[in-house]
Amino acid sequence: MNKFISKKDLLSWLGKLRETRRLIAPTRVEDLTLFKEVSRVEDIVFDYQNTDLPPKQFLFPATETIFSIEKKDGRVELVPAKVEKETVIFGVRPCDAKGILTLGMPFLEEPGDPLFREHREKTILVGISCLTACPECFCASMGSAPDDPSGMDIMLTGVKDGYLIQVLTDKGKALMPDSLLSSVDTPKPPAPQVSTVPSKGITEKMRQAFDDPYWGRVADRCLHCNVCSYVCPTCYCFDVRDYGGKNKTERVRSWESCQSPGFSKIAGGYDPRANKGTRMRQRFAHKLLYFPEHFGTMHCIGCGRCVRACPVNIDIREIIQDVQKLGVKEK
Amino acid sequence: MNPSEQIRAKAKELLDSKTVDCVIGYERSTDGKNARPLFVYSSKDADRLIFDQTCAQDLVRYLLNRKDKVTGIVVKPCDSRAINLLLNEHQIQRDKVYIIGIACSGVAKTDWNKTSDKLRDACQICQQHKLVVYDFLVGEAKAEPAAEAYPDIKSMEEKSPGERRAFWEEQFSRCIRCYACRQVCPGCYCSECFVERLDPLWVGIRIAPGENEMWNTMRAFHLAGRCIGCNACELVCPVNIPLSLLNRKLEKDVQTLFKFQSGIDADAPPPFAAFQKDEKLGVAE
Repeated sequence: MNKFISKKDLLSWLGKLRETRRLIAPTRVEDLTLFKEVSRVEDIVFDYQNTDLPPKQFLFPATETIFSIEKKDGRVELVPAKVEKETVIFGVRPCDAKGILTLGMPFLEEPGDPLFREHREKTILVGISCLTACPECFCASMGSAPDDPSGMDIMLTGVKDGYLIQVLTDKGKALMPDSLLSSVDTPKPPAPQVSTVPSKGITEKMRQAFDDPYWGRVADRCLHCNVCSYVCPTCYCFDVRDYGGKNKTERVRSWESCQSPGFSKIAGGYDPRANKGTRMRQRFAHKLLYFPEHFGTMHCIGCGRCVRACPVNIDIREIIQDVQKLGVKEK
Repeated sequence: MNPSEQIRAKAKELLDSKTVDCVIGYERSTDGKNARPLFVYSSKDADRLIFDQTCAQDLVRYLLNRKDKVTGIVVKPCDSRAINLLLNEHQIQRDKVYIIGIACSGVAKTDWNKTSDKLRDACQICQQHKLVVYDFLVGEAKAEPAAEAYPDIKSMEEKSPGERRAFWEEQFSRCIRCYACRQVCPGCYCSECFVERLDPLWVGIRIAPGENEMWNTMRAFHLAGRCIGCNACELVCPVNIPLSLLNRKLEKDVQTLFKFQSGIDADAPPPFAAFQKDEKLGVAE
């Protein structure tokens, strides 16, 4: 037996949640599908494979104030930023839920980032499993699957007139009333076949490939924009700047990328990653070597967004294949 | 021979004779449908080169990374204006570039994993069907310049300032400041971009409405009289901001005010670097 919720009940439940919480869901903006705060559940779109940008921005905003320093009655006070409202992110795919788990690893590792922790604690993920796979998805090679509920509080799987529902965590239970659910013997639809990449052993191969001229050759066509990092559900680099006012100064962080030309410049003007090859290698080595070494899991979840968005087709699937072959003599 | 075969043959000849060190052209992308830039260093790789309606990118920007070596490059008529822009601004030397010019009748509106027969918006209003500079010509231009160059700009101009403001605020609210527009632009080559300059600080790091607008409008102003209308910026934008409406508006204004179009003549003095005695402030006539 499976639990079932009708689409009508699901929408009215979401509408109810919206009254007290920030409801984030996929919406159509021009010809893009983007997660946005919705004021009407009618704006939520269901016919998407994956959103053009990941839900990362609701846990790690593109720009946020970390704390402010305020002058009050002749005293100076440090005021940490607070996350006001609980957020429900509806419609995340399994890869994105896994992405949020992965994004959390560096932020929650002791001593941890208080603001991220607060965002994470106040966020509920209601996901929808994938019944079709994009040709550029490869989640199965990165430790996830189109029906993987990891990281979600509630997972839905589309069937006729509604969804099979798995309420996975206490947070999810507290939110979803049993009265909306019924028991059905509808079987779970099969998960789609996802294309694969040869990710086995890639960490060791990446270490061996560190000094290979390969990186310089791939970087020839790289524009060194930040698109890949900003569409990535797991990239977490940021820059910090103070915005001063008369009685209040804010410390703000905004997304940054290891691909941007000045990213590693240090005082005195020296840049250890001044050429394009070394910056390109940094991105892939972080994803496939440094992060796995430290956290025991890939820093890529195979959502395929960077593959789709790169203006010059730097394709991580191709990089993985190429690196596997480096050093192997062609017969 | 079709255009791809002609380019391959020429690239082999140039590489084998050591006329050039590298040929920059296009090859098939990993989706099997679109095209991506390709750097060919040896004639054995030249057979990967292609040219068809999917070859949209402007490759001229890459010449800025190869100033000291002789480079062959595949160039469409719109991109050929970028070569003149860089020659005019003394960023490249003519004898370091071998231009394989393509007589282009427009490229298709493509996206990752999607192809179409429909021409890109920029190609539908294209005025530049002839190469302004080249060394070797592939094919023959069939299309004539479009009847009107700025139909979209004119309809923007008819809107009230309030409507235009609302339109751009909405568009820029999506900007994630990835700088792909800058990184692909043949005219954006400052060694330190104003947006990354700390002292003086022109624009902060916030990816948020006010600073997004500042970034996009200042970049557009820096391209006034310099933008060559290749629309590479619009092509690469991951959130589909119609940057061409902004940049081509300034192109149109510079054309009206100064009778100047960037990249047409490599030797013509650019309006913001020249001064004429009878020049007046304000809109002439």
